[in-house]
Amino acid sequence: MPMPTFKIDGKEVPYEDGDTILMAAYRAGIDIPYYCWHPGLSVAANCRMCLVEILPPPGRPAMMLDVLELDKDKGEYVVVRKPKLQPACQVPVTPNLEVLSETSPHVARARHAVQEFLLLNHPVDCPICDQAGECKLQDYWLEHMRTSKRMHEEIIHKPKGVSFGPTIVYDAERCIVCTRCVRFCSEVVKDPVLSKRERGNLGEIIVAPGRQLDHAYTLMTEHVCPVGALTSKDFRFKARVWFLRSAPTICQGCATGCNAWLDFDPRYQKVYRHRPRDNKNVNQYWMCDEGMLSYAAVSENRVASARVDGKKTTVERGVSMTAASIKDVPKGKVAVLLSAQHSNEDNFALVTAAKQLGFDNLYVTGKAPGKGDDVLRHPDKNPNTAGVTLVAGSSPKPFGDLLCDIDSGSITHVLALGSAVPVEEAAAVQALKRLSFLAVVGVWDGPLAKAATVLIPACSWAEGEGTFVNAKGMAQRSAKAIQPVDDARPAWETILRIVEATGETMPFKKLKDIQSAMPAPAEKAPEKKAEEPSQAGEASASN
Amino acid sequence: MEPLDLEVDDSSLELPSDPMQLMMGPSHPAMHGTVRIVLDLSGETVLKADVQIGYLHRGFEKSCERGTWNQVFPYVDRCNYSSPMLNNVGYALAVEKLCGLTVPERCQYYRVIMGELARIADHLVCNAAMAMELGAFTPFLWWTRAREMIYDIFEEETGARVTHSFARIGGMADPPNKHFKDAVRAALPKVLAANAEGVSLLQNNRIFMDRTMGVSPISAADAIALSWTGPCLRSAGVPYDVRKASPYLVYDRFDFDVPVGTTGDNYDRFMVRVEEITQSARIIEQALDQMPDDGPVNVDDPRFVFPDKDDVYTTIEATIRHFKIVMEGVPVPKGEAYGYTEAANGELGFYIVSDGSGTPYRVRIRPPSFAIVGGLSKLITGQMIPDIIPTFGSLNMIGGECDH
Repeated sequence: MPMPTFKIDGKEVPYEDGDTILMAAYRAGIDIPYYCWHPGLSVAANCRMCLVEILPPPGRPAMMLDVLELDKDKGEYVVVRKPKLQPACQVPVTPNLEVLSETSPHVARARHAVQEFLLLNHPVDCPICDQAGECKLQDYWLEHMRTSKRMHEEIIHKPKGVSFGPTIVYDAERCIVCTRCVRFCSEVVKDPVLSKRERGNLGEIIVAPGRQLDHAYTLMTEHVCPVGALTSKDFRFKARVWFLRSAPTICQGCATGCNAWLDFDPRYQKVYRHRPRDNKNVNQYWMCDEGMLSYAAVSENRVASARVDGKKTTVERGVSMTAASIKDVPKGKVAVLLSAQHSNEDNFALVTAAKQLGFDNLYVTGKAPGKGDDVLRHPDKNPNTAGVTLVAGSSPKPFGDLLCDIDSGSITHVLALGSAVPVEEAAAVQALKRLSFLAVVGVWDGPLAKAATVLIPACSWAEGEGTFVNAKGMAQRSAKAIQPVDDARPAWETILRIVEATGETMPFKKLKDIQSAMPAPAEKAPEKKAEEPSQAGEASASN
Repeated sequence: MEPLDLEVDDSSLELPSDPMQLMMGPSHPAMHGTVRIVLDLSGETVLKADVQIGYLHRGFEKSCERGTWNQVFPYVDRCNYSSPMLNNVGYALAVEKLCGLTVPERCQYYRVIMGELARIADHLVCNAAMAMELGAFTPFLWWTRAREMIYDIFEEETGARVTHSFARIGGMADPPNKHFKDAVRAALPKVLAANAEGVSLLQNNRIFMDRTMGVSPISAADAIALSWTGPCLRSAGVPYDVRKASPYLVYDRFDFDVPVGTTGDNYDRFMVRVEEITQSARIIEQALDQMPDDGPVNVDDPRFVFPDKDDVYTTIEATIRHFKIVMEGVPVPKGEAYGYTEAANGELGFYIVSDGSGTPYRVRIRPPSFAIVGGLSKLITGQMIPDIIPTFGSLNMIGGECDH
């Protein structure tokens, strides 16, 4: 059955039961301006930017207001009648509703007035404000106001640079008191730590007395802030957003697999931040602090070059040494260690390599479990645990078993992918050192890198394309943002070269071939376009 | 006493010689460091000439696809560095065509006057260099001094003598100075006098005439076939001038003539430029009389034009306006346009494509010199080596225009 429709500016717009005008317009891609409304939060209707004119039902008089207006010719105030405008974010759609947005001169005037009002006491901060470039005040000034300041009195001054907690700084002068941050904390995180005090031009956001803004989702308050009132201490003064490009990636922080934008500066190939990419089926509109700050791993603690016995060498030497060392060992003595921190592609390449070389001892490593909650965070801190099981065909043996097998002497050689181990680090290093040979293809320094005989650097998720299967079993593709750092190459490529160096062949040579050969999960992530196109660089995300 | 110019054509003085290959340029001083001509010679006569441009490659068109629409102005400045103002205005007009903008009348006159001054400067340099290449150093110095007067006006108006980057989409960077008209009115007669004085040394000079008349001629049909425009085309007798053929800005309000030559030889090209200087001066005089002294120079559209700096520093609205233009560029609507103007060397076209973002999707230049240099090998084949240099000079090859 086709969806029922109503009219905006004479255009038929489909709606679902319970939709507000703004929600239906938002879904249809019709632009009605708003500050306080957010698709994931309750309706506050306090910014008044989304005012629209609603036509009366046929045969009924319109709701009109008497307004005093200055008649410039007469030089006196006269009474004029105007339709009463309604906030589109709050008015539910009813059958046969007719709404005027762009086509109503009253609406245009109201938007101009609201925008002028919001800028009335706004400081001249764009040059020092991180929001510049993705600020709704800037966007809407150009779209709906375009005039200069009429008030020449000193603006109202309010507190600036207030630390709200470990991650967020608040600037009351820039704040339009839309309460998105307040609603986010109480509705999504269920921790009502923020509140609002005073009224009118004295209004500001405050932290509950005795508290700090310190829950697990504080950076989201900055993200939902439509202006530069809340800024992230991590990103503050680091970059100008109009120089950044965004790559659609998958957060590597846990098994939830939040969809993210990885913002980077293409000139310096440097990653600056992670922010949520809307996906209704995975993370809605949100991400946790841990995930948003995990972008830093791209440049922190990386394996920069190949190492043999701890000494720097070339990747070529690492590859040929590995091939020579594992070639003539009895097949049963060799173990292959997959990694839940790596993509399906990398793991599938390793599984195929094991098959080609005749090794059938498969184990898996990854990070130890951590904290979870019922908003987004998953206790499994690896992005691809489900993917490893999928490409291996069956569950590989856990890392603990590998340590036991090394202890018993049944495993002497290991070909490993990854960086972290799920057990205590010192013990793992000690056990792994007992091996006669350990080759590691890894991104980060860690226990595996420390114990490795041969260590070859691999690309992180930011430097290559990869597929990750989240805890719900959805396979999601993460795109490449920047060029590989130092000597890093994609792990699948290094594995391919090791196999070729042993004289065996692999059934594929390119990433595309791996992707078409590797098993796909039962549930595929629906291709969902980002829903809120208000932030930096999404239009040019292709880089 | 016997006349010095003995007719030697029929004598048996010419010595037999084998063909020889000679590389002229790119480091030859007359080749601007940007062109090489591979010559096949028989004695001093050119049998075959292969003109190779490309020693100047900056990637002008590709560079334009990186910044905002306004950030292209410094690049077009450097396409023809002898008359950057004409390039500036030509590019601005192309983008304004796509945006549907018309600059205020005062700005149109301002652009005409500045452009015609640039044309005079360009022609003076071209003629001066050509004369100097034939050994006449005095006109070169006189005309360079005349050009200096024009550069002084430019410096006063734009702050820069050569590459001004002064036009903007929707207007000019600044309104005219208070004394702009007076300065032009004071300088123009001096420039014309210097021009006439230099011409008087050359016009009927036997050496100059012998070296230029009948040297490297071109027919009207050939010039059109080579897609020539500008003074080089007009010297062959074709009265095509974009300012007359499809007037832009306010050119239809001026009374001026389009000088043409007859044979399209070096002498004609020289004399067409000489006359165009006088015609440009006529246009400038009329424009100075008609140009309003007050009124806006920029279009009244906050999406395109920067606010006053005083307001930017004190009010948030102007700051936002400034930021929007800097961060995103001016909003040129999706589509394509070809804007064409009469630059000093001929038709200067910009074919621009916008994808609706603040950055040009494509800026394709149709530079006059590129087509004209395409005819060079035809002109010099059969001529003597010493004639290559003045012929090359008379075409006014501009390296920056040949890079695309």
